[in-house]
Amino acid sequence: MMGLTPYLILSAILLVLGIAIIISKRNAIAILIGVEFILNAAALNLVAFSRHGIGALSGQTAALFVIVLAAAEAVVALAIFLNFYHTIATVDIDQGDQLKG
Amino acid sequence: MLETMIFILFAAVAVIAGLAILLSTNIVRMAYWLIAMLVSVAGLYFLMGAYFLGVIQILVYVGGVAVLLVFGVMLTSRQLAPKLRPGPGEVVWLLCVAAVLLTGLILSVLHSRWEPSTVVAANSVSDIGRSLLGDFLGPFELASVLLLVALLGAAYLARPKTPVQTVQKKGTTAL
Repeated sequence: MMGLTPYLILSAILLVLGIAIIISKRNAIAILIGVEFILNAAALNLVAFSRHGIGALSGQTAALFVIVLAAAEAVVALAIFLNFYHTIATVDIDQGDQLKG
Repeated sequence: MLETMIFILFAAVAVIAGLAILLSTNIVRMAYWLIAMLVSVAGLYFLMGAYFLGVIQILVYVGGVAVLLVFGVMLTSRQLAPKLRPGPGEVVWLLCVAAVLLTGLILSVLHSRWEPSTVVAANSVSDIGRSLLGDFLGPFELASVLLLVALLGAAYLARPKTPVQTVQKKGTTAL
């Protein structure tokens, strides 16, 4: 039977991939994809601890809340990006510098 | 043994999907690889015995969030292709941050000793329901309010700002 460590390492790799995607992409939707990677890494961590670490159900319930939050976040972020697109006709986030003083 | 092989399969798909998104410049392919990653994480949930969570992952993420992202791509991307590649300075910074973070995380995971649990958690859907309405009742109610707020907020933010031009007027002038 596998232990906790492989899941934690995979979760760390997914987290770093998400951060790398957020850093490297300029398209707002690609940045949203990176955020989904980070949230999935966190949920995977929670479920792995629930299964192999503490042996209780709390981790699965918390991961359920992570999924709910991710759905709500994706909806609101996409609405904001649509507004952004209607304002400056692109989703390149480097163009969104109108609030600069 | 079989469990290890299945884990390696799903983990490889997830990591390859992440690398493909990182190297890709096509936003539609990125959305496709995101779906591959979400499905493989759902497979890992199944592997860990969290069957309900795996089903919810496929339903909400693959069926909802990923399709929403594809719709966002359809509604926004027209001339994005040449702008997606990062410059060389950004790549250096990216590699530094990723290497330092990955090394630190993996070292800390390997050097910590978690005792494996001998207790097998209760795992049926009814147990999750009891947990939701018992220990997690406050967050559960907050999540319902949050979903309502997100629904209203998204509908408010994405509404058309200018009134839609009526086609009828154009038709009458053409006549």
